[in-house]
Amino acid sequence: MVTSRRDFLKQAGWTVLGGGLMASFVELPASKAHASSGDRTHLYAYVVDTHKCIGCGKCGEACRAENKVPDEFYRTWIERYTIYADGHVDVDSPHGGEKGATPIKKAHIDRSFFVPKLCNHCKEPNCVQVCPVGATYVSRQGVVLVDEKHCVGCGYCIQACPYGARFINPKTHVADKCTWCYHRVLKGLKPACVTVCPVGARQFGKVNDPNDPVGKLIKEARLQVLKPEMGNQPMVFYNGLDKEVR
Amino acid sequence: MNHTSHIIRFAVVLVAVIAGFFILRGFLVPDSFGVQGDYKYGYHRGASDAEQAALPALYTGSKKCAQCHAAETAEWQAGKHAGVECETCHGNWQAHNNNTKDKAGKDSSIEACLLCHGEVEARPADFPQIADMKKHVEDGGGAYEKGMLCVACHSAHSPQQ
Repeated sequence: MVTSRRDFLKQAGWTVLGGGLMASFVELPASKAHASSGDRTHLYAYVVDTHKCIGCGKCGEACRAENKVPDEFYRTWIERYTIYADGHVDVDSPHGGEKGATPIKKAHIDRSFFVPKLCNHCKEPNCVQVCPVGATYVSRQGVVLVDEKHCVGCGYCIQACPYGARFINPKTHVADKCTWCYHRVLKGLKPACVTVCPVGARQFGKVNDPNDPVGKLIKEARLQVLKPEMGNQPMVFYNGLDKEVR
Repeated sequence: MNHTSHIIRFAVVLVAVIAGFFILRGFLVPDSFGVQGDYKYGYHRGASDAEQAALPALYTGSKKCAQCHAAETAEWQAGKHAGVECETCHGNWQAHNNNTKDKAGKDSSIEACLLCHGEVEARPADFPQIADMKKHVEDGGGAYEKGMLCVACHSAHSPQQ
């Protein structure tokens, strides 16, 4: 069979036209989007003061109760860093630090301190970018959430998170993590861990509110974030972060 | 050569496949799924947001406790534990409210106090910590007895020192 140039061009034209038409159909459902829901802002920030933390573990206990976190899984945990005179660094977090800290009797400790950790609710979250089904997202207030009804439990987000904040919940079999107690903060309450912290080592508030203690801290205090080199722009800030903290 | 019949058959199959795709898609994709705000981080099921916001809050803060326990609240506010919320030691309000006979939140054991006040190297140096109970009692001018509780000398609600 010999196709003339004219026929070839004709058929090619129809193919392109048809393809374009199909593409426009495929685009259609996506455009029913609720784009009117407004732009995303990063309303909240979380400040951890490592100078204040006493490692009592009340935050972890409250988080577990408030969010029904299964045993041996943690939405927040407290790490203890111990730096010895010979330069050796020890990091421990038995039971996520939830049952308090055991004393260390070894001598020659240069310094030792607690670092509470949780989801950093990043401005540029890796976990959201890698989700293949759109089950994890950033809310309009800038809180990174997991839709447990839509998540398929593939675990990509767990690998992508530089902070190890995510896990597969053994009850729901889908990804789970800290929500900054989304259900509380929208009601005007603080996250459970912040509410119960006896020493004010954990603080939560609005970034751009100058009357908010956290807003003031973000403006005036010299704070750091974990792993800034990852480029995720965390919204959890630390005071007194040591160079040994990872 | 006439290919019209082939093209029509192919077109019918193609249309059926495309129609099938959209019908199936209509069933499988949740109603509110789409771009909420921006595409990069807002592509999700819109209803999920409200579902998570509707979860109940168990910890309510000390104002709620003060409604019934005015005397304890006044005592607490006068002491050094004034910055510590009721629920830090007593557990969440909701559990207590669901079962008002629940006294599980009352713990006067030494362990309960030492959870915060036991001596641990990593704690801030200016935070009151007890390494040796006997020494602590005698330094304070008391007589140490075995099995002595912290609350024998200190008020848990309102410690003065």
